[in-house]
Amino acid sequence: MDQHRIAIDPIASVDRDGPAHRHPPSNPAATVAVQADGIHKRFGSLEVLKGVSLTAREGDVVTLIGSSGSGKSTLLRCINMLEVPDEGRVTICGETIAMKTARGRTLPANSRQVDRIRTSLGMVFQSFNLWSHMTILENVIEAPVHVLGVPKGEAIDLARSLLDKVGILGKADCYPIQLSGGQQQRAAIARALAMQPKVMLFDEPTSALDPELVGEVLRVIRQLADEGRTMILVTHEMDFAREVSSKVVFLHQGRIEEEGAPDRVLTSPESDRVRQFLSRRLSAA
Amino acid sequence: MNWTLMWDSLPRLLAALPLTLQLVAMALAFGAVLAFATALLRLSGNRVAVALTSAYTFIFRGTPLLVQIFLIYYGLSQIDLIRDSVLWPVLSQPMWCAILALALNTGAYTSEILRGAIETVPQGQVEAARACGMSRVRLFRRIVLPMAIRQMLPAYGNEVILMVKASSLASTITMMEITGVARRMIAQTFAVFEIFIVAGILYLLINFVATRLIKHAEWRMTPYLRARA
Repeated sequence: MDQHRIAIDPIASVDRDGPAHRHPPSNPAATVAVQADGIHKRFGSLEVLKGVSLTAREGDVVTLIGSSGSGKSTLLRCINMLEVPDEGRVTICGETIAMKTARGRTLPANSRQVDRIRTSLGMVFQSFNLWSHMTILENVIEAPVHVLGVPKGEAIDLARSLLDKVGILGKADCYPIQLSGGQQQRAAIARALAMQPKVMLFDEPTSALDPELVGEVLRVIRQLADEGRTMILVTHEMDFAREVSSKVVFLHQGRIEEEGAPDRVLTSPESDRVRQFLSRRLSAA
Repeated sequence: MNWTLMWDSLPRLLAALPLTLQLVAMALAFGAVLAFATALLRLSGNRVAVALTSAYTFIFRGTPLLVQIFLIYYGLSQIDLIRDSVLWPVLSQPMWCAILALALNTGAYTSEILRGAIETVPQGQVEAARACGMSRVRLFRRIVLPMAIRQMLPAYGNEVILMVKASSLASTITMMEITGVARRMIAQTFAVFEIFIVAGILYLLINFVATRLIKHAEWRMTPYLRARA
């Protein structure tokens, strides 16, 4: 236990504010990794998404921003069908998720297809959601071994290298409860990466963290962006969004209010709403 | 207090211990299967299944075990259909009637314990498993059930203790388990106090071991809770 506490954390020890850099803009020639068309989602009488479309090409980092209740998390969850959209289509790497209507409710037509597509979408949650009865290593190898059928030895090797990459290899045999929030989130990122997904989805990955732990998680996400991974990210960290995104999408009341290159949307937005949102963010910071 | 009588009664009461243990073990085993099926049906969302399992738990939790034992042992034999059926060789024996009543009873309670435990599995951890592409069955086997079983152990330990004590009711339908033997010896000696004290001590010993076993299982299965310190 003590040895874990003392272990130097290579990621946490680096300064949070790295050199100013920008993610390259979206490459219009790249193939489309995620395509959502006309997504509608209602919770009871509340319409959370009112026809939102979103495209992420390979290598894109698309950041969804907006005030709470704007529908950004719901949109992200519609992409992997954790929320089933009432209308609209989701296409992942060219494969459209088949939908059906039963008793007035829209559902995925084929749960096998959804399960298979989900294996190519790594999801990181706000509240980490590590499986509490498994060690960190067991968390990371669980889905590769039991969903993809990767041999256990191979899965362990990959898991160890991923845990090393996110800087918590020393915690491999600990249980989630023994880790700080930042470490748990990094473990959750390693767990998602272990499936070797084509796209990573991040749902407010730093919102549940103490301020001093935010940096270590953002650093890992930035590293993934720099590697050219395709990612869709919901965040409230505006500076981070500016640096890491190829495209920023601002949602307001279930619609896309404005989207474009991060420098443009976050510096000189056309929409008054975006401007208001950003100035409120600045005054709060 | 007649100490010699108490001491002398011990071998005969101890000889009845295996039958008590057998009744309890069989009832718990069948009851666990029943509880598992009932909890799954209850959570399935299927209207007929939910109605049937709700009725089952309602009836068996809501009526006295003694009444259930009498109904099964004396009641079923009144029905020609059952006396003529292939089940009769089983249902005509008091041993199986006792096991059936105890199993149905503990099955009803345990299914509710299990259902409650399944419902406490954090939704976020279930979502994380779905997001990895786990099928419903695998999700249940790998994530929900292991967590639910760990969660339900303390409550299930109570249920085991209750079953050990409830097995004494089998003496009312001629079973010569600990209480049955004790009652017969009292009829011969009129030493109510002495013999029931010895019998009570035997139940205490069984439950002492049972609690220890459950505690040990709990300890073994929850390293992640101990790790908190």
